[in-house]
Amino acid sequence: MKPFLLAACAALPLLAACGENTRGVQNDEYGDWRGSAPRQRSGGQTAGLVIFGVDKEREAREAAAAGGASGLAVNAYLWRATLDTLSFMPLASADPFGGTIITDWYAPPGAQNERFRAQAYVMGRQLRSDGIRVQVFRQVNDRGQWIDSPVSQATNSEFEDKVLARARELRSQSAQR
Amino acid sequence: MRKILLGTTAAVGAALLAPMAAEAQEAPTVRVGGYFRAYYGYTQQNATSPTNVTMNQNPGDNGAVSSTGNIPGSARLGHGDFSTDAEVHVFVNGKTANGLTYGAVIEIEFDSSEGTVRSDARRAFSKKTGANIDEMYAFIASPTLGQIRFGDEDGPFGGLMNVGWVSNFGTGGAYGDFESFIVRPNRTGTTPGSVGDNTKIIYLSPQFFGLDFGFSYAANEAEGEDTGCLNSYASLNCDRAYAVTNIQSNGRSHDQPGRYNELQWAVRWRGSVAGVGLAVGANGMFSQVVRDISPSGDIRRNLRNPEVYQVGAQATYMGFTVGGGYMWGNTSFYYIPSVRGDKRMSMFFGGASYNAGPLTIGANFYSGQYAGTDAWNTSNYNADGTRAPDTVNSPRGQRRWAYSVGATYRLAPGLDLIAEYIRQEMKEPSANATPRAFSAAAPGVDRVKASVFLTGVRLAF
Repeated sequence: MKPFLLAACAALPLLAACGENTRGVQNDEYGDWRGSAPRQRSGGQTAGLVIFGVDKEREAREAAAAGGASGLAVNAYLWRATLDTLSFMPLASADPFGGTIITDWYAPPGAQNERFRAQAYVMGRQLRSDGIRVQVFRQVNDRGQWIDSPVSQATNSEFEDKVLARARELRSQSAQR
Repeated sequence: MRKILLGTTAAVGAALLAPMAAEAQEAPTVRVGGYFRAYYGYTQQNATSPTNVTMNQNPGDNGAVSSTGNIPGSARLGHGDFSTDAEVHVFVNGKTANGLTYGAVIEIEFDSSEGTVRSDARRAFSKKTGANIDEMYAFIASPTLGQIRFGDEDGPFGGLMNVGWVSNFGTGGAYGDFESFIVRPNRTGTTPGSVGDNTKIIYLSPQFFGLDFGFSYAANEAEGEDTGCLNSYASLNCDRAYAVTNIQSNGRSHDQPGRYNELQWAVRWRGSVAGVGLAVGANGMFSQVVRDISPSGDIRRNLRNPEVYQVGAQATYMGFTVGGGYMWGNTSFYYIPSVRGDKRMSMFFGGASYNAGPLTIGANFYSGQYAGTDAWNTSNYNADGTRAPDTVNSPRGQRRWAYSVGATYRLAPGLDLIAEYIRQEMKEPSANATPRAFSAAAPGVDRVKASVFLTGVRLAF
């Protein structure tokens, strides 16, 4: 009995370690008291609320839901929301992998002596309030010459707020489906 | 045996800690989860209405039993009751730079006491809702080498890797929460997890070709910290006790020292054939048992070293699940060690369920034969611990069975509405004309029956 146990104990972990058909067994594949896990811990090992640390599973879930499947490298809600928000201006370039959207100069119909251009950066896969940066540039026409003119910081923030509001809207729409 | 186990543990540990491909390290996270449930239960049960028998009297306002002590009395129980329960689980999970995952699980339960005295003023008595640690263990796992768990946790035989127990409906049917409404002795089923969460080291293998296995070692049947001794010397409750006087007169049970050097093992295969999900498994437990020591110090073993086996199979197809199995060994019900010469355990279990969207319906049962209360009846044993002929009203062993039908409706993720009916019976026919009595409440009743209809809500979070 003892030699058999010894051999089994030594061989089985090694046997398990080799072969292409090996995979790690997840914690939620084990049962517990009367097989109660499926009823009492229906969320598996990602159940519960993270109270310390970063919830990687939730981030991965949200990233997948928000565009992981569509090939975007950045959060899809923020990306689409930015495009929507800046759509009144002509688009110069949009890089979904780098997360940058740059518009061309745009002169509002009511004020042809000033023009605006915007650069937006979508940062990361997470839908977070600091996941979007918008920088607006302004020029004024001074006797046929476009001259740079300062833009108040509040303008940038207002654009960011509009993008976030639109992203929230898009997310709640997709969640209802 | 110990050397082998220690050597194996060291080898597996060394393999786990060996350098592996670099992966992103993840800082540990702490999760809080758990569940809450509240049920209404309608219970019918016989043999629980004592008339003019000696019983504990109500404690006085100062929490002490009245000076009259135990005097004859009567009591009656109604049918309806509510029952609430909750657990809070804390999960710690992290990942090292070389791909090992690690963490700890601590589960807090709030049903540490079955009996109660309701008033807060009587501080000498525990309330039913006292907090208690259910399971607590740490683990370290590698995707290629498997996992080691160390702590108070179910074993591969006692809950982790059992196959064939269909309990995914209601509260688990015949293996479920109906016990919350039933008065002993017609209460406990012999199910996975009943072996206990005694502190153990567990190895769980990775899965290869659908196959995975596990084994565990526990030094004894105790859990938690400290020695367990109630006195300043070795006695019955001590974790490390291996010999105690008059051991055969104690019902060795869950969470009390009875087994030591306990080994559990399990092997299971999971896969699919032609679209049918299949699982088959076998597992077992072996341990040494606490021996009897005479007042003068002579040690002998009159209980059998527990040895239990289980085989099971389960199939799932298009929402249907069917499973069942057989368990046998030399323990009594609830894995209590039995006396040499006692009836051996033989138990069938099975069930089926159907899941369609949010609705799950199911039925399950178990039916077993055990040594029963024989296991601690001292009147029929010879001086050497063997069984004497049945001359008193000694039972011939126990039959115990239960069946259940139930349903779950998932209202929202984690939120279930439940309805379930369970019937459980047990009997211990006597070897002679005098009927065996289960309790003082019902002299002459050798068959106890209980039916519970329960309905309620459960929220897992």
